Amino acid sequence: MPFLDIIVFPGLLFLLFLAFFCEWLDRKAVAKLQNRVGPKHTGPEGILQPFADFIKLLSNEDIIPAAVDRIMFSLGPILILTLSLMPLFLIPIAGSSALVWFEGDLIFIMFVMTLRIIITFLSAWSSTNRFSMIGGMRVILQMLAFEIPLTIAMTGPAISARSLSLSKIVQFQASEHLLLLAQPLGFVIVTICLLAELRMVPFDIPKAKTEIVKGWFVEFSGKKLALLRLTEDFELVLAASLMVSLYLGGPIGPWQTQSVLYFFTKLVICILILSNLRALFARFRIDQALKGAWKYLTPLALIQVILVELMPMVIP
Amino acid sequence: MSTFRIPFGPQHPALKEPINFTFKVDGERVVSVKLRLGYVHRGIEKLAEDRTYTQNIHLVERVCGLCSQAHVICFSQAVEEILGVEIPARARYLRTIIAEMERIQNHYMWLGFTAHEMGFETLFMYTWRDREIALNMVETITGKRVNYGINTIGGLRRDLTAIAVNPVKRGLDQLEDRMKYYKKLCMTEPTILKRTVGVGILRPKDALRFGAVGPTLRASGIKRDIRFDDPYAAYEEASFNIITYDGCDVASRLLARCEEVFESIEIIRQMLDNLPKGKVRVRVPSQVPQGEAVSRVEAPRGENLHYLRADGTDKLARLKMRAPTLANLLPLCKMFENMNIADIPMIIAGIDPCIACAERMTFIDTENRSTNSWTGDELRKYSIGWYEER
Repeated sequence: MPFLDIIVFPGLLFLLFLAFFCEWLDRKAVAKLQNRVGPKHTGPEGILQPFADFIKLLSNEDIIPAAVDRIMFSLGPILILTLSLMPLFLIPIAGSSALVWFEGDLIFIMFVMTLRIIITFLSAWSSTNRFSMIGGMRVILQMLAFEIPLTIAMTGPAISARSLSLSKIVQFQASEHLLLLAQPLGFVIVTICLLAELRMVPFDIPKAKTEIVKGWFVEFSGKKLALLRLTEDFELVLAASLMVSLYLGGPIGPWQTQSVLYFFTKLVICILILSNLRALFARFRIDQALKGAWKYLTPLALIQVILVELMPMVIP
Repeated sequence: MSTFRIPFGPQHPALKEPINFTFKVDGERVVSVKLRLGYVHRGIEKLAEDRTYTQNIHLVERVCGLCSQAHVICFSQAVEEILGVEIPARARYLRTIIAEMERIQNHYMWLGFTAHEMGFETLFMYTWRDREIALNMVETITGKRVNYGINTIGGLRRDLTAIAVNPVKRGLDQLEDRMKYYKKLCMTEPTILKRTVGVGILRPKDALRFGAVGPTLRASGIKRDIRFDDPYAAYEEASFNIITYDGCDVASRLLARCEEVFESIEIIRQMLDNLPKGKVRVRVPSQVPQGEAVSRVEAPRGENLHYLRADGTDKLARLKMRAPTLANLLPLCKMFENMNIADIPMIIAGIDPCIACAERMTFIDTENRSTNSWTGDELRKYSIGWYEER
């Protein structure tokens, strides 16, 4: 039944729990790497902590400063949440085709991700705080630098699969081979760019706590902050599942089997990769991050695409 | 985009203590900076005038949580100078040991704090975990982790027991190992280098002109250390190097502090090996004869200066303290020139600020919501008047 699919599995409820689980996993992994304990008391090994944080934030007072643009400020968090949830329906989770899929949904995912960042900038600007404005500007600068190598690198799998649909790319990997084996460089570029998209260390420049006080987050409180925190979890799931679908074959297991468990295992591995990177570095300065993206990532992404085109000619 | 002002403090995640910088920024670039102190004035100098010398030991210890030993040594030395007391050799050695341990734990803490400022949470967690070794060592000797309460005028209140020596030596080995690793990390990790090299430049000329002290000054290539220039406690008997770097930036300050830890460990080892036997305290009268004394100590953050005037009673007439952070604030403003917003926390962290030590007076007119500070002349006039009335 499509209705049940959308609401329960692999739709809204499943994604919500997955998001909370991923936040817990990320927090716990980083805590282990940093020699800390991490969440511990809510539920077994603190697995319910993200959920408890969410409920607690929902009950907090929601302050709207006098100077803000009320409409954009209130609408911002809801729009950002919707826009980060929407692409998840296009990810093949349970089977080799997603809940919704059409030719060109990869382009659509990219478009929605860009749109989300523009909304982020608008809500940062509408909160009329000096720290938010600097944060919002950094968000846009970072997007300009990292969206381009990300998009170029993501065309690599699309060219191999001869399709712009994520589900088709997964099906291609089921019948041929995992794209990670053919395009390891593309996987690395996509991972780095997604780290920047997620605004994780070393690319947490737009919300650098010690520099600009959480940047564009600073004026949001209560329900809005809860929604924004949830958005970050969804973004983490989205980033990891993009890595899984594009390069690791989504829910495809060995011997042509398909199961959500395979998807889940791969997702956990990808999140651990992201968490590990998060714990390894210090934060870049915005100019250094942009320089790196333009000077190294974009040319490398182009080289990867050229290699994808040339490979079939060399190895028939 | 035109310039606008961003406030940095008194409440800001990058600053653990209240101080206010108002930065004028053009996009991401700092154009100018205005500094304002006066949020945690505690009136300790005034408070000291109402207490006996023994009570003041404990008050002075609480000027700063991290350089408590430096302040106490400085104060006791001033009193001992007026009294004309020579403290036992064993007490001098033990004071040196505790002062150096304080330097080690302070530099470990600072390294973690700086890592936190640049977003390197993992290094922050690791250094603070290892700092516990240093704190446990101090606890083994003095019984407390901070504000040791072991000093008194004329020596120490407690002796070092023989049982404590071995754990301390073991701790020193561990700390040396860890710091070697962190130093290597600071020299090779690309993200750390990107954030520190060439950031917060303070040329040697400016460092001298604005009166920088401590590791900040030494990282600008100037060899100046009170422990060497004007030895106190048992530093004359110790052999150690003064660490200087000529990079003049945050990276130099980072490495200078890392190397200072090695020197401190070396000093403690020498002291423990050559510890003289005997008493740790001489009894002193509770009343101090009339006189004046200035005492200087190299605190972990730089030169610490106490001026003391005694008037023959059991209470002091005037105590003036100049904590190292105050001396480093003017050079700090110089370092911000042409830097990015992202560099601000790194530069502030670079001087190892301890604002509560550096506080001066501000008047706040609550009706007009305006503030004004006294100039040096006004303060002088007021103080002359106050003492004449007395």
